Amino acid sequence: MKFPRTSGGFYAWLFQRLTGILLVILLIIHFAITHNLPKGGEVTYALVAPRLATATWKVFDLTFLVCALFHGLNGVWMVVQDYVHSETAQAWIFYALCTLGLVLLVLGAITVIPFKA
Amino acid sequence: MLEKPSVIKRYRLHVGTIAWILHRATGLLLVLYLMLHIWVIHHVSQGPAGFNKVMKAVQSPLFLFLEIGLLGCVLYHAFNGLRIIIVEFSREGVEAHKQIFAAMMAVAVFLFLVGGVPMFIHFLHVLAG
Ligand code: HEM
Ligand code: HEM
Repeated sequence: MKFPRTSGGFYAWLFQRLTGILLVILLIIHFAITHNLPKGGEVTYALVAPRLATATWKVFDLTFLVCALFHGLNGVWMVVQDYVHSETAQAWIFYALCTLGLVLLVLGAITVIPFKA
Repeated sequence: MLEKPSVIKRYRLHVGTIAWILHRATGLLLVLYLMLHIWVIHHVSQGPAGFNKVMKAVQSPLFLFLEIGLLGCVLYHAFNGLRIIIVEFSREGVEAHKQIFAAMMAVAVFLFLVGGVPMFIHFLHVLAG
């Protein structure tokens, strides 16, 4: 079987950088909010549910989810290309990463979208 | 793959090489964390009992301590990543790359203290019971 060989090229490179810049902001907010910083404390349903029930945080979490999954899995793909040289193996890994991304995207989305407190 | 020229006895570990290895290692660790995290957070759809149960398990003293390391991984990867982006995009960046690296790491260390100290205090509280 002959698979298309793709490095993703320019767009993979560009979106790795764009999502990276977005993730800096998203992650700092995420840590500060979930850890109740600078006070610190436990993460409980009572704290998370009211927040997750609002449209603003749903949009925030979904943006975060998409950016983190794309950036992380595209990153893994970059690493794979450095170490795996067989085209067939690369192609299988590429499809495996896409599937993994899709499963995690659906799992994350069904957590957030229908959530009611 | 390029062969190592035979005149080179061994590679030296330059700051840039170490920075790159750490960037790669923290990136891969974050992917692992993200997969587990999405699964753990999914328990929120089971209501308070299910969510609090799984959150209790991942907020034991051991996990709280590891989370400080997670913050470190995030901050290193984030600010080294920004450094890569700046140096690639600007001509001045190439010339001043050492200063840019130092400045980025300074911000990362500052944020690590801002976030890590309260997390560490919380860890000690939980440890003490
Ligand atoms: C916080 C903001 C982040 C920034 C600014 C950022 C930036 C970057 C940049 C610029 C690259 C490309 C490096 C290169 O071309 O050599 C990269 C690679 C990577 N990132 Fe991130 N990143 C961030 C967050 C994350 C997160 C949350 C994850 C995991 C879910 C992640 C996982 C990866 C992986 C696996 C790579 C590939 C590493 C390699 O090729 O050596 N990053 N990151
Ligand atoms: C130890 C530190 C962390 C804690 C306590 C934490 C906690 C949480 C909580 C409580 C939620 C539920 C939604 C909300 O409250 O907004 C959530 C969602 C999320 N977190 Fe984290 N988080 C942490 C670190 C991270 C890191 C490092 C990443 C990225 C690699 C991340 C990525 C996400 C994403 C993408 C979502 C949305 C999940 C979904 O759509 O189902 N978190 N996190």
